[in-house]
Amino acid sequence: MAGVEGGITSRLARGQYAALGWMRSRIFVNSLRTARGGAELGANVVSIFFTAAIAFGPSIGLGIGAYAMLEQGHPGGIVVLLWVLCLVWQFFSAMAPALAGQNPEMTHLLRFPVSFGSWVLLYLFYGFLAPSTIIGVLWTIAIGTGIAIARPELLPWAAVTLAIFAFFNLLLSRTILAWVERWMSQRRSREIVTGIFLFFALSLQLLNPALRHGRHDLPFGLHRETISLAGSHAFTVQKALPPGLAADAILTTGSSAARAAALGWLAAYSIVVALLLGIRLRSESRGENLSEAPRRTASARQQSRPLFDYPGPVAAVFEKDLRYLLRSGPLLYNLAAPLVMVFIFSSTYRYGSISAIRMQYAFPLAMVWAFLGLTRLISNNLGGEGEGIQFYFLSPTPMRTVLLAKNLFHGALALLEAVLIGTIIVFRFGPPAPSVAAATVAWLLFALPANFAAGNALSILMPYRTNLTRMRRERGAMGNGLISMFSQFAIIGIGALVVAPLAFYGHRWLATPVLLLLAAISFAVYWALLGKAEGMIQAHRESLAREVMKVSS
Amino acid sequence: MNSAAIATHALTRRFGQFTAVDNVTLSVVPGQFFGFLGPNGAGKSTTIKMLTGLLAPTSGTIEILGMDFSTHALEAKRQIGVVPEGLALFGRLTASEYLRFVARMYGLDRDTANRRTEELLDFMNLANEPKKLVTDFSHGMQKKLALAAAVIHGPKVLFLDEPFEGVDAVAAGTLKAMLQRMIERGATIFLTSHVLEIVERLCSHVAIIHQGRLVANGSLEELRRGVAASLTGPEADEKLTLEEIFLRIVSGSQGESADEALQELSWLA
Repeated sequence: MAGVEGGITSRLARGQYAALGWMRSRIFVNSLRTARGGAELGANVVSIFFTAAIAFGPSIGLGIGAYAMLEQGHPGGIVVLLWVLCLVWQFFSAMAPALAGQNPEMTHLLRFPVSFGSWVLLYLFYGFLAPSTIIGVLWTIAIGTGIAIARPELLPWAAVTLAIFAFFNLLLSRTILAWVERWMSQRRSREIVTGIFLFFALSLQLLNPALRHGRHDLPFGLHRETISLAGSHAFTVQKALPPGLAADAILTTGSSAARAAALGWLAAYSIVVALLLGIRLRSESRGENLSEAPRRTASARQQSRPLFDYPGPVAAVFEKDLRYLLRSGPLLYNLAAPLVMVFIFSSTYRYGSISAIRMQYAFPLAMVWAFLGLTRLISNNLGGEGEGIQFYFLSPTPMRTVLLAKNLFHGALALLEAVLIGTIIVFRFGPPAPSVAAATVAWLLFALPANFAAGNALSILMPYRTNLTRMRRERGAMGNGLISMFSQFAIIGIGALVVAPLAFYGHRWLATPVLLLLAAISFAVYWALLGKAEGMIQAHRESLAREVMKVSS
Repeated sequence: MNSAAIATHALTRRFGQFTAVDNVTLSVVPGQFFGFLGPNGAGKSTTIKMLTGLLAPTSGTIEILGMDFSTHALEAKRQIGVVPEGLALFGRLTASEYLRFVARMYGLDRDTANRRTEELLDFMNLANEPKKLVTDFSHGMQKKLALAAAVIHGPKVLFLDEPFEGVDAVAAGTLKAMLQRMIERGATIFLTSHVLEIVERLCSHVAIIHQGRLVANGSLEELRRGVAASLTGPEADEKLTLEEIFLRIVSGSQGESADEALQELSWLA
């Protein structure tokens, strides 16, 4: 049982860490016995390479930036870098749960005498392995290096401060993830969080024009003095927040007491965040059940109403998947994240020197973006079935029909996502040119069946179990994710290859018939592959059932 | 056309070098309550998975109600109901949603699906938890729900893999009554269970599989006579229970009794 007393360095705890490490290594070695395991390893290597590439360029920039700011006598700029570091770290972790890393199913440890301290330590340890942490730590080191080269005398304080700051960021990202996961697991709290989220996004929309007073008239009757005063207050407030405190601890010269005070406050923030994480993990370590179910038995005998009351297996699977979606916080989160990001980025980029070009193509770019939230669903469309996958093999409904129903459901979701994102874009940038709108719709008609064809094949050949209650990367998801990403790039690339040259030579309207022709070909390929899906699934049913029913470890 | 409800011929399943089911030939006549027994790892679940289409045989044939499973899988599946080892439940639906879903997948019309769903939920005592998700059900409740799903379309052949495991005595009584009623109405039931008293009480015919091979097959009386014939002295005159028959057939081939095996546990000596 979890929660037993005993230090995190006790003999028992050390033995447990060793056992877990050994278990993970054995799982890794054993996974290499299969071609699937090898492919997964290859995908991981490619992923690490990409992560490093993403992290390395900006880290050089941050290092040079820190150096230049100190060299040129603008030490105040360091606080900007620390804010960027903090926000990007949290943003990566929260917006793309896959980047928050692959945790083991911690509830598996409940049956063992794992102390609470060890539980927390293990939770943090897996956070260390997350791509968002790797990126964050690299950037922190880069900023520290820049500071040390420019002002070597700051190195001791900078090293200690940045280490605490990095630890704070790690704690904060893990805490946010743990609490968001908790809130997204139940309907009521999910609705409240969604409301707050939308309110926040809307506030950004309204705030953004107000902050751009240099180029435009201020809305809502705001005065520039008011904005300036608010900015000044915000600067004062940020000095009391972790990035501001970290900058103070590094840059304050002359008074060790002032530095120590700033460092102390930074440590205090870390402790508060650790306590918040502790509250969450304490519940988990006691066997908390994250579930949709009411805690008490309902007395009324009312049954839930059909959502989609049409006969036949296609409607049945459609309704079942809709219910699954509505009950899964992580799935809803994946769908909502692109919307929120479009909301935020559309305000950031609304005004700018190349806005004419951007506005022209904002609509098709947003449609491309709309697909991203659906990638996991489309490329692993049987992954959420769990033990239920067996039922499909037992029932007289052909698997081809099941896949068709799933494709229809995902098509409806894509349409909904496209309409919502399209509405945001039209609201922010105005309606696109008719030729751009027509080409975009034609591209969607091409992209949907192409995505479904690739997704169905991946779902059969590289399935993995989707955890519908936890926001994290699932075991076995890397290979599937990488290939689905490449197929997405290919589909987007084909669209760009058609549109770009025609637009360059002033024949943008020609893109629509060309893309419609591609759409017809794409649909024919999809239909032909769907016809072969039955045979493919029967040939792979054992591995499919094994992977989808697998309990993650 | 074979007149058997379930018939296999030389059914074999290999996993690499390991042969889980080896050349099994059996026949279950319509209306029979058939018990399929074997120790852990003997090949019971592999056999039942092949009979229900969850696993492809390496070689051999399967016929369900005269239909070759390899060529008429969907037609055969319409006629069978299954409670598989993993229960095949969709955890994030409520019980009524799940049963309605299953009914639609078997092609039942809406009214029939709704009526049978309500009747089955009442019968299985699952109607009082309308909003609870299947994943939050106890194991026994999940088992009852899996059984309800297996019978909702009125199958002619029912495959049950350990249906009474984890089910309380009251529920087990209800389930047994329902299964008996199905037999009376002409259905065929293929059951695996480790609870041999239940098998003895319910089943008219029994087959025993051991290390992938069928080592006994016949009515309870035939098995009893077969084992008794190998005994001498007063034991030969006693009426053997199914448990004794099973142990003699299986332990005989293992060549080690439980007492002898216990000697190997030094810390329990």
